[in-house]
Amino acid sequence: MSQNLERELSALFEDHADQLKGQWITEMRESGLLEQMSDVETEARYTALYNTVVSTFRTGEFEDVEKYAKIITEEAVMHDMSVERIIGGILKLRDIYERFIFSKYRDDEEKLYQLLDSYEPIANNILTIVTMAFVEERERVIHEQQRAMMSLSTPVLQIREEILVLPLIGTVDSERAEQILEELLDRIVEVEASVVIIDLTGVPIIDSLVANHMIKTVHAAKMLGADTIITGISPANAQTLAGLGIDISMLITKNNLRAGLWHADKMLGFKVRIEDR
Amino acid sequence: MDIPILKIEDFLVVTIQSELSDDEISKLQEDILLRIKDVGATGLIIDITALDIVDSFMGRTLSNVAATAELLGAKTVVVGIRPAVAVTLVELGIRVKWNVNTALNLERGRKLLKQLIGAEQRGGVS
Repeated sequence: MSQNLERELSALFEDHADQLKGQWITEMRESGLLEQMSDVETEARYTALYNTVVSTFRTGEFEDVEKYAKIITEEAVMHDMSVERIIGGILKLRDIYERFIFSKYRDDEEKLYQLLDSYEPIANNILTIVTMAFVEERERVIHEQQRAMMSLSTPVLQIREEILVLPLIGTVDSERAEQILEELLDRIVEVEASVVIIDLTGVPIIDSLVANHMIKTVHAAKMLGADTIITGISPANAQTLAGLGIDISMLITKNNLRAGLWHADKMLGFKVRIEDR
Repeated sequence: MDIPILKIEDFLVVTIQSELSDDEISKLQEDILLRIKDVGATGLIIDITALDIVDSFMGRTLSNVAATAELLGAKTVVVGIRPAVAVTLVELGIRVKWNVNTALNLERGRKLLKQLIGAEQRGGVS
């Protein structure tokens, strides 16, 4: 029964395709949603949307909408198109179709309500799918950027044979802590490091999570034969750490990176001297 | 399968080439300790480079071997722990009661053993 109504709707839209298209384009122009878009582009945009909507009504399946949503979101990201334009276009089409149904069946109230009952859920669902696709696309981009930022912010530097320096900058959460640990261990193996200096000057807050992660890192590095020196803990953070009651007695800590490096040199027997000229 | 225990100077070297069952691990532990007693080794190097996974039983056994070898007069160094294995061992919380000396590779392990034994002898003299 309802399948029939949907077919009727799709036939209705197809029969009056040109009229509805003209109306959509005019109204879209008026509301400024088609600015900087050529006629060919407008036509293509409408056709894509129109085909999707009609096939959805004909089949009652939303596969085409999902495909359309995927394409349009990718396009939008690529051409820096605003979400407002695309959602606006769909809303406009929805309104035009709805009004068209009204005008067509204004004399047959029962039929009108039946058609609207069938039309509204599908139209709303199309809009929801496209909107969700946008949200997902944005989230994906944000996630990608976060990962890029993370890998940028954890350089492991080799400053002498057998000495690595890891300057940490910014807040450390458990995901990043995990990543730092992996990166560091791989580098230890790669360069056959014996001493690792972790500099915390750029870490604003050291809480129990960061502290526990430090201890874990120190232990894992030790298993690979590398001793760890922690430097650059600020007085405020030192107080917090002492207050947390975490056992950090096995950590070698130094005031600053300079002192840490000096200590590392001493452990490995490096001596720095100024050559006489 | 018998795992070869090689003797180089005063040290014994054991290379574990593949994953071992719990029985094989226990057998290896016995073999190593007997061999230390036989040859009077002062150092033991266990190379686990080939192991992708070290479970808690293996971890505990390594720790036991080290403690027992110490009683027989030999220092133990475990070498070739992979990064992923190190993380697992730390997460298992073994390290807390795991006083096994570790080094990156065989070469470093031998160096560390010499240092450990040297330090003990110097300590004994003074």
